[in-house]
Amino acid sequence: MTAQHSSVEAPREARGREQVAVFSIAQFSFVLSAAAVQEIRSTDSLGGTVVDLDRHVMKKVRHIVERDGKAYYVVSGYEHFRQPQSRPTTVLILRNAPVAVLVDRIEEMAEMRVLLELPQSFRGEERMWYRGLTVLDRRVLPVANPLGFLSAGELQQLEEQNPGLLKSAATRGRERGRE
Amino acid sequence: MSTETASLVPSYVVFQVGTRRVALARDAVAELIASPILFTFPHTSPLITGVVLRRGRIVPVLDLAPGLLGAASPPARLFLVVERQTLTFSERCAIPVQGECELVAGVMLPGEPSDHYVSGRLELNEEKIDVLDLEKAIAAGVKHVEDSMVPAEVLQ
Repeated sequence: MTAQHSSVEAPREARGREQVAVFSIAQFSFVLSAAAVQEIRSTDSLGGTVVDLDRHVMKKVRHIVERDGKAYYVVSGYEHFRQPQSRPTTVLILRNAPVAVLVDRIEEMAEMRVLLELPQSFRGEERMWYRGLTVLDRRVLPVANPLGFLSAGELQQLEEQNPGLLKSAATRGRERGRE
Repeated sequence: MSTETASLVPSYVVFQVGTRRVALARDAVAELIASPILFTFPHTSPLITGVVLRRGRIVPVLDLAPGLLGAASPPARLFLVVERQTLTFSERCAIPVQGECELVAGVMLPGEPSDHYVSGRLELNEEKIDVLDLEKAIAAGVKHVEDSMVPAEVLQ
């Protein structure tokens, strides 16, 4: 077997420069590609459009939120990253997944110039959570994987346990929009 | 000992993890760094206490103390950068160490059979120092942490 030399030793610019949102959960900061975010809203502004899940399949997802005729599973950021309970004030509605992520706050919008691979010594769920690491303002920050908040398996599980709920929430939203 | 003979004697880096003095083969050690900034973020990999940025490279910090001593290392100022060589990857990692490190030449004697992560033993001024098999020491630490962890706990 040939040993795979870690590319962490050779920093690379994966896709050139990328606009990112820097957000925080508990005492940690994270980076998420701005292209992966459809909308950033205050949690206070989502009151009337939140639906409880019939069955709580996983601790990190308890609600569905409807926005502009589309429905999203609301993922608790602190539960996802297994942090102590925090105070989310902001929700990131993602673009290419039916997912909205609760985060404590947005710190800034910034430009990410380098995406470094997560070192191979990291062997756990973080390999799904993160696309890699970046350096912003002399800080090393994890770059969240937008598809890692809910895996395909988790989405399927949510749909199986709450059949049609996502679709009906979206339909209700569209009907409200037409009224 | 002649210069020629001395060059054939293997050398080892002796360092202290918590209260225990241990050694690694010189070839496995890249450098010793002082007071790097430790960056932390949520993850679930046992032993990793964060990462340091070294010459533009991300180096994970691995604490060997849980495997060697059964408890995490106290805060460290010095980090020994070592080369991990697993079956599937090679990567530099930083090990928090306490106190000074020494470079010594010596012949390694067979280690205690009970310490499976010990490759052998050095005798220095009547002190016996275990030479580690790095990957086995990491595996011992991972097992210790996993055995003592509540399910789904996240490390930082």
